[in-house]
Amino acid sequence: MEDTSVVQLHQNKPEDECPNLSLRPLDVSDIDAFMVWATDAKVARFCTWEPYTNKEDGLSFIKNTVVPHPWLRAICVEDRPIGTISVTSNSGNDKCRGELGYVLASKYWGRGIATRAVGMVAETIFDEWPHLERLEALVDVENLGSQRVLEKAGFQREGVLRKYVVLKGRSRDMVMFSLLSTDHRPT
Amino acid sequence: MEIELSKISLRPFKLEDADDFFLFAGDDQFTMNLRWKTLTSKQEALDHIKDVCIPHPWRRSICIDDRSIGFVSIFPFSGEEDKFKANFGIGVAVKYWGHGIATRAARMAVSQFFVDFPEVVRLEAFVDVENLGSQRVVEKAGFQKEGVLRKYAYVKGKLRDLVLYSFLSTDFHAAQAEAD
Repeated sequence: MEDTSVVQLHQNKPEDECPNLSLRPLDVSDIDAFMVWATDAKVARFCTWEPYTNKEDGLSFIKNTVVPHPWLRAICVEDRPIGTISVTSNSGNDKCRGELGYVLASKYWGRGIATRAVGMVAETIFDEWPHLERLEALVDVENLGSQRVLEKAGFQREGVLRKYVVLKGRSRDMVMFSLLSTDHRPT
Repeated sequence: MEIELSKISLRPFKLEDADDFFLFAGDDQFTMNLRWKTLTSKQEALDHIKDVCIPHPWRRSICIDDRSIGFVSIFPFSGEEDKFKANFGIGVAVKYWGHGIATRAARMAVSQFFVDFPEVVRLEAFVDVENLGSQRVVEKAGFQKEGVLRKYAYVKGKLRDLVLYSFLSTDFHAAQAEAD
């Protein structure tokens, strides 16, 4: 028999590897968990923020942005936060639209967790916000992992918006995805 | 009616344009795809010119022989994060449709705008999926179609699918370089 070394590919593990995925509000008592992903440059790469360097800034963010946010939840494994997922709201002629965003600690990447969290939000947000018709998400053209998350969660890719945002001083092309309240959502 | 496109010009609005403005903006067909309400009097036209057109960061009257027959508006977004972007809108009096006037005016406006606002990198135009005329105008004027945004916004109380187009300052400079 040949002696071969087998390269273990990092595949999506079965759902029962993460049985207790839940969403709940995030507050200041979660600061230590928050700092795990907030200080990680890999996580911050496609975000508007630079990695956090001190707890004070983390606490400010939680108090000033997280707590008053229209819809933000911690993504939890065994009730411990490993990231967040949020939906912004709009008013007037734009109230039909909400923008989805999420962030996940890099140690938990590649296991389908973000896809499941997105699916959980898609299941409830249209009921919680009856005025919402369209959930959209903008993903950097180079952020292939996040594009796959949204595709697997049933979002439709609508197009590439050129130089749509300025992120950390550079113009970025963004892919626009959307999920409508009337779209079939994978369960 | 033959229109010589060389007679098309752009200039800022004047109060004296009120009669002509009311002629085109008093028409439901003109305002159908705009957020504006159809004007119902010359006073409303005067008020609109005074309160909206004149203070606007970049709105021009589309003129034939210096008479106003439409508008083109480019609105830079506000805020530090978004001032590199602007929104494009255009309308021509219904009786002048079908002569290429809007396309000519759009091209003139885009060229002038990128000179006037050098910090703007991205000009975008949202067009209703059913508004094929306006789609042709922006396409012929050099905008690039990026995609259809489903159920994107309400216009006059109706939820619309909007086609998003963009014209970048780099598109403009590249076209200029080619022309030289």
